[in-house]
Amino acid sequence: MTPAIFALCLLAAFLELDTTYAGQLTFSRGIIAAPIFSLITGDTMAGIQVGVFTELLFADVNPLGGILPPSAVVCSLVTLALHTLGIELYITFIFGVIAALLFAIIEKYRRKSRFRWLIYWEQKITQKPTTIYQAISMSLLTSFLINFLLLFLFIWLGSYLAVWISSHLPSQAQIACNFAYMAVPWIGLAALVPEFRLKTR
Amino acid sequence: MNFKLQLALFLRSFFLQTGWNYRKYQNIGLTFVMWPFLKKLYHNDPDALPSVLIRYLQNFNSHPVMASFCFGALARQEEAIAKTKTAKEMEQQIILWAEIKRGLSITTASIGDRLFWGTLKPLSLLAALFIWLVLGVNFFETQLPPNPSLGYVFSAGIVAFVVFNAIALFVKWKGISLSYYNEDHRCFGLTRFHWNETIYHAKRLGLLFTIGMILIGVYYFMQTALVQNVQFMTRAVLVLFFISISFITRRLRIPNMYLYLVAVAVFNIVCYL
Repeated sequence: MTPAIFALCLLAAFLELDTTYAGQLTFSRGIIAAPIFSLITGDTMAGIQVGVFTELLFADVNPLGGILPPSAVVCSLVTLALHTLGIELYITFIFGVIAALLFAIIEKYRRKSRFRWLIYWEQKITQKPTTIYQAISMSLLTSFLINFLLLFLFIWLGSYLAVWISSHLPSQAQIACNFAYMAVPWIGLAALVPEFRLKTR
Repeated sequence: MNFKLQLALFLRSFFLQTGWNYRKYQNIGLTFVMWPFLKKLYHNDPDALPSVLIRYLQNFNSHPVMASFCFGALARQEEAIAKTKTAKEMEQQIILWAEIKRGLSITTASIGDRLFWGTLKPLSLLAALFIWLVLGVNFFETQLPPNPSLGYVFSAGIVAFVVFNAIALFVKWKGISLSYYNEDHRCFGLTRFHWNETIYHAKRLGLLFTIGMILIGVYYFMQTALVQNVQFMTRAVLVLFFISISFITRRLRIPNMYLYLVAVAVFNIVCYL
């Protein structure tokens, strides 16, 4: 694990807070986060492509109500971080998508299990209202740390798995993964057509 | 509500979703946003604050941008509660406060989801894609061209960021004052904007942009056909197959990412046959 990957994980954990917990200023969008990551990895063109592909692939899932879309930050980070090991983007992108899905599942569990935390802080706030500042800062800090640990774990495990798979992957499978990767923008654009065709009046 | 207080609510609204949970959603965030207002309103009666905070710590769920309309309206109603003289009058005003909170959060969430997540976000994405293509950054190619200059890398992302946030922050800021100063017969300032018309026109524009983007993609695709005929046909058939399937999966509400993972599996089987 190089210092660059460590820095990437810290940056991604911070940007991931923007998805839900703080800001929602769209820093966590694929087209913004991935080019930022690529400044550290050094391959800016890969950053643009991964950002665009991630956004297009996840464009049909929006955070409506309690729906949790897969994280664009996680997908971009894992894809680009594994790409720095010399593995092709069409393979690392599969890892990125799976990591984003896993992250969403874990995040859902975290939100469900926040019940005890909630009772504790509600009692504290009603007794001493100024503890709302502590509740907010503790929530942000724990979210940041958990994000960082999860991202670090994804990249650490993913790097071993991706290196092993890419070295054992037959040429047919490489072509297949490349085809699937090439189809991503088309699948994404096809999904945008019905997205804009929804009747609003 | 003075400028300083509005600014405090506005800045705190960026933390509305901190502590989001499946039981009471944004309750901690709402309490955090409203705290400066409540502190000022009840500074002569701090004993009333615990019971007031219990109300704010109940369920609340809205769109993070559009929720600003709830902040202003709730602040206005809280003033009415604070001014009551009798217990019965206070009870009535509290019932009205709860109705405003429930009704307005649902309405604003519906508008916000359609406008910001369903329309503005994909529209700003398409704007960014067009900018990159105009600058000659072709992301359709799997064989990546050399790295473009930093200006090219961030220009499209900055445009998408500015377009989205200019509208979102404007609505967020205006929402607080409009809902605070407007009477309830004007839907707490919500009727000041033509939401449905805006969404409708933005969606038409988005559809036009999407078709344009698909045509540009096809153009790039056709360029490769001049060099590789057999590969082109295979690629075209496979891609068209998955585009057709994506329309079906959309109807079945199956997300695109699963279609991509299925594509990986299907292409592997095809390549081995």
